[in-house]
Amino acid sequence: MTEPTPTPSALLERTGTLAILRPSQHVRGLVPTAPPPEGALDLFLFLDDAGAVMAFNGHVDLGTGIRTALAQIVAEELDLPLAAVTMVLGHTGGTPNQGATIASDSIQVSAIPLRRAAAQARHHLVALAAAALGVPADELIVSDGVVHPRASGSNAGISYATLLAGRQDRLMLEDSVTLKPAGDYRIVGQRVPRVDIPAKATGAFVYVHDVRVPGMLHGRVVRPPYAGVDAGDFIGHSLIKVDEASVAHIPGLVAVVTMGDFIGVVAEREEQAAEAARCLKVEWKAPPPLPELKDLAQALRANPSTTRVLADQGDADAARAAAAIPMDRTYVWPYQMHGSIGPSCAVADVRDGQATIWSGTQNPFPLRLDISILLGIEEADIEILRFEAAGCYGRNCADDVAADAALLSRAVGRPVRVQLTREQEHAWEPKGAAQLMEVKGGLNADGTPAAYDFATSYPSNAATTLALLLTGRVPANNPVFEMGDRTAIPPYAYDNLRVKAHDMAPIVRAAWLRGVSALPNSFAHESYIDELAAAAGVDPVEYRLRYLHDPRAVDLVKEVAARASWEHHTAPRQEVVDGDVVRGQGFAYALYVHSKFPGYGAAWSAWVADVEVNKRTGDVAVKRVVVGQDSGLMINPAGIEHQIHGNVIQATSRALKEEVSFSETAVADKEWGAYPILTFPEVPVINVVLMPRPDDPPLGSGESASVPSAAAIANAIFDATGVRLREPPFTPERVRAALGNPLPPEPPAPPAKKRPWFALAGAALAGALGMAAVALPIRGAIAPITRPDPASFSADMIARGRQLAALGDCAVCHTVPGGTVNAGGRALETPYGTVYSTNLTPDPETGIGRWSYAAFERAMREGISRDGRHLYPAFPYTSFTRTSDTDLQALYAFLMSQAPVVAPTPEAKMAFPFNIRPLMAGWNTLFLRPGQMQADPARSPQWNRGAYLVESLGHCGACHTPRNLLGAEKTGAAYLAGGMVDGWEAPALTALSKAPIPWTEAELFSYLRTGFSRFHGTAAGPMAPVVEELAALPDADIRAMATYLASFSGPVPADPVAQAAALQAEATASLRPLDSLGGRLYEGACAACHAESGPTLFGVRPALALNTNVHAARPDNLIRVILDGIPKPAARDLGDMPGFRDSFDDGQVAALVRYLRAKFAPNAPAWSGVDEAVALARANPGSH
Amino acid sequence: MSLPEHAAPVSFEVNGVAHSLDLPRETRLIYVLRNDLQLNGPKFGCGLGECGACTVLVDGVAARACVLTLKSVEGRKVTTLEGLGTLDLPHPVQAAFITAQAAQCGYCLNGMIMTAAAFLSRHPAPTLDEAREALRYNLCRCGTHVEILRAVMLAAQAMGAGSTAAGAATTLEGADHD
Ligand code: FES
Ligand code: FES
Repeated sequence: MTEPTPTPSALLERTGTLAILRPSQHVRGLVPTAPPPEGALDLFLFLDDAGAVMAFNGHVDLGTGIRTALAQIVAEELDLPLAAVTMVLGHTGGTPNQGATIASDSIQVSAIPLRRAAAQARHHLVALAAAALGVPADELIVSDGVVHPRASGSNAGISYATLLAGRQDRLMLEDSVTLKPAGDYRIVGQRVPRVDIPAKATGAFVYVHDVRVPGMLHGRVVRPPYAGVDAGDFIGHSLIKVDEASVAHIPGLVAVVTMGDFIGVVAEREEQAAEAARCLKVEWKAPPPLPELKDLAQALRANPSTTRVLADQGDADAARAAAAIPMDRTYVWPYQMHGSIGPSCAVADVRDGQATIWSGTQNPFPLRLDISILLGIEEADIEILRFEAAGCYGRNCADDVAADAALLSRAVGRPVRVQLTREQEHAWEPKGAAQLMEVKGGLNADGTPAAYDFATSYPSNAATTLALLLTGRVPANNPVFEMGDRTAIPPYAYDNLRVKAHDMAPIVRAAWLRGVSALPNSFAHESYIDELAAAAGVDPVEYRLRYLHDPRAVDLVKEVAARASWEHHTAPRQEVVDGDVVRGQGFAYALYVHSKFPGYGAAWSAWVADVEVNKRTGDVAVKRVVVGQDSGLMINPAGIEHQIHGNVIQATSRALKEEVSFSETAVADKEWGAYPILTFPEVPVINVVLMPRPDDPPLGSGESASVPSAAAIANAIFDATGVRLREPPFTPERVRAALGNPLPPEPPAPPAKKRPWFALAGAALAGALGMAAVALPIRGAIAPITRPDPASFSADMIARGRQLAALGDCAVCHTVPGGTVNAGGRALETPYGTVYSTNLTPDPETGIGRWSYAAFERAMREGISRDGRHLYPAFPYTSFTRTSDTDLQALYAFLMSQAPVVAPTPEAKMAFPFNIRPLMAGWNTLFLRPGQMQADPARSPQWNRGAYLVESLGHCGACHTPRNLLGAEKTGAAYLAGGMVDGWEAPALTALSKAPIPWTEAELFSYLRTGFSRFHGTAAGPMAPVVEELAALPDADIRAMATYLASFSGPVPADPVAQAAALQAEATASLRPLDSLGGRLYEGACAACHAESGPTLFGVRPALALNTNVHAARPDNLIRVILDGIPKPAARDLGDMPGFRDSFDDGQVAALVRYLRAKFAPNAPAWSGVDEAVALARANPGSH
Repeated sequence: MSLPEHAAPVSFEVNGVAHSLDLPRETRLIYVLRNDLQLNGPKFGCGLGECGACTVLVDGVAARACVLTLKSVEGRKVTTLEGLGTLDLPHPVQAAFITAQAAQCGYCLNGMIMTAAAFLSRHPAPTLDEAREALRYNLCRCGTHVEILRAVMLAAQAMGAGSTAAGAATTLEGADHD
């Protein structure tokens, strides 16, 4: 099912049709669009002789069911079945320009002409029937689109379709049309299932994300570092350079497009575009600092503003001065996100001065204007095809991405689909603005309010479409919008009232979010009246009713209080539920007033929230919300009820959990861990109270129910605890602080660690090595041979050699990622510089094709190349030297029988003095102990077999044994005691292991065989390919390796299963998902796959409480797994772990790492140097 | 890495149809399903395994296709929302979501339905709290949670789990309208 896109001109050419038209209107909204051409007509309604009925509306369905509600209205007036009506919404080429879809206006404003059009069409069709049937019109009735005489028993009817045969009726929409009386409604007011849900539930629905057009390419954008900031001279002027060579290797890349600060990449396939965007090296100027946004009240006070007085009656100053109890209060609202579940997406086809844009925009006509400015083409040459997208609640990045796609399409001359990343949507969506509400007032001695002097500061803006700013087409000059005034006038009759709006420029990119400024303003109004009631010793509902004079409001307040079993109280009750948990009930009411001041009301809404607060932990649970709404005539009560549920849940989420955090220069929250939203277990029970008002006009119900939310919850927390919270979100930290009960803060980061050992190595080297080197001759070359015929080796020998190559991990180092196996060229970073692995294929010039067995054996046993040059001990010949002759011969046979590949090896880039290869001779004298491995007769054959595999080709010690200052493996007790490789820690395999449950033979076998041990975790980093290679070895060999390695372990645990369960239970009980940044990140980003109680998902579920990396002496491995995930798991049963390099900043990674350590390794000391280790790991991604 | 990355096409089954695709094994499954197989059910929500919008079933187990690589599904059976049921023949979980009108924008719906289907196949008669826990790591921003939970309990009932589920569903309705 795709959105229908009939063009009006094509429809109007047809005969057998009826159309209702209206002259196109010039919409001057917040963003005025171009005037329509002279004489242009908008099509509102279209019927044809085949029974089609199409209704057109310029607004869009944001997932709120507008499509269904409008169809109900049309079907009602036309006396048609609901299913007969098709709604066409929000296409610039086909629907009327009715401005932006904002403020839940669609039902209140845009439905009116549609309803009239339908009624007018019905009158016209009935008149036609009257003529055809020879019956007066007032004796005809219509049922299901068939007109027939009222007289009972008569079956002489004629359908709309039949009536239209051969006609081409074009009617102009009349201003006054007789509408159907509400009492006759059969469809409007019914609980009607939404028309879109079956397709959405089966994957048949086409969202904008699902649009595919022929020849389409895929694009991604790369955004500047000033994430979420859209005003200032630096916007559009911060790019220093783009290194296109950094993505040259990516297959399928079509273009890198740069204009000002706009950067995009286009590729044939989506993952190629994503990879190019990830890899593209871009240099930016450092963005300027943001104001300190941790103290929002101060930041808003300091932001320059102009003041509008919205109301001034009585004498607020004098009354405030005379108050018996002065009560000045400050309420603060945080920046919040729209947080659409799907990051925005669009497809654009820009060619030959014409543009077609498939978009999820909320505002098709304003977007068309933006695209016109951006591309410099006429609005008339641009068509916006509107498709549904993920729910938006105001303004997300839908317009931004449409403009991005337009730029990229124009650059490559083909259609381009651009999908924003989660990180980009989070960082760049225009935020719901922060807001400051300050009240000066107080209570008179008789308990009446003395004065209400209210000032609101709201830094919102138009959130100009990003590409216009990034390319410099439009200056980033912070237009100030007058939008802080929504519901700024309190609903209560205060005798001495003054209301001021401080209009101000945005601080960060912001736009309207559900409830706009009305939600924060009502938070202040409704908290304040609660404070007055408490100070006066009066029940909060009773106190409100004294000053609330709007009769519909009064009805609603009383009804909701009654339905919630409101418990009359004159002071906070602090009722204990159990132990530290107390319970409370809170009330709030609001009429959402929107549009330009003074605006008009949408639906009336009232809340009773029941909360439970844990006074020790600060946890707040909203247990139940009774929410009432008066939205006049309800077109589709089921739809309204669902909307109310949605508003309650989203608003509860905002009140309890949500607050955007900022780095010094940008938005910091880039995924759902840093910016959490309400989850299923946290959802309250919701009881909806709908006020029946069938005779009053329908009112928008898109957002009204969210407006009383935060105040009702704050008032309930006050009832439960006696403590007043004036700044959401009501997180445990805030609640504890308000209760004077802060838990000890997380331990501070200890001082930086000492210099790494390898930094000292260079100093010691020149002397020691140089001395040894002079004692040894430079070795000679071994004569080249002609490549031996592979047929001279037995198949069996080659097969054995192949296994041995896997054991030796030859291909791991001797293959570049994605390249030909064993052709070499992989860069290996060592503390002494970069070496490149050599070509192990039998190519005569660049590989080992001319190597005799003797030359091969010398390389394996002594680290000397055929030509006599010394190899660096990054090649683990000190282990390989122990291989048996027969195994070396088999390995040689295998290597020589591979297909030769021409691949020269790049020169090593070693630091002095390591760049002098002959010095390696000295190194060998000191550290090489050549010769085959000898069995230990005191041990079992299995142990000896394992020892041989581990110590020779397996070369486990190369990583797992610490090295001395000269980079040689230490010996004795240090053997297998843990080392570092490529930035990863290879943990100790001996009793020095930090694993909470010691390794056993069984777990070693499981780990080496499958890549996973339930008691230790998953093979990651350099170990993942090792396990993958070991798949070539038989179980018996893996078992032998496990036997040998287990002989180094500590004592075998008595009951590891019980021990593991206890460790996990202890950790799980200590988790605090909302309490700290680390806690939030774990819950949002890690827990789905790692929490013990998480959903069953494909792959393994590594228990962090048992994980070796969490218990390690250093945080490096944990940091690296968080940054880069496990890109190539060792086996296909494990599942995959994503990396968070582009999702978390360094501070977030460090916070997460500290949290994981504290919670999952509670008995281990806190790590020192976490911040430095994170920075180091980010700067040196390594090759794993 | 015993074989070159591109050596052999990756074979797996999607909604009962065998596919063999010549793509790198580290390609994320979601791109292959959506772009190569044109299956719109799985949605891109975060790419990080956080939100569940991309959920598919792999051998009957819920899996997050934005994170899963082709390598992980090699030789396995993948089911998407389209494969679960169709407009004409919806799976009981899909039918329950339609009955309960459990969508606003519906972008999260794929994840909710696939996760619920996998969950109910293992726990045919969950309590309401178990259903909440099962969906804990599936995010919905529209606030459709109430209808979604109702749908899951309805589905449990329809799938013939007997009295426990029916009782639990009644509890939700009762709680919601008391
Ligand atoms: S898109 Fe896969 S979990 Fe969010
Ligand atoms: S219905 Fe919109 S995100 Fe769930």
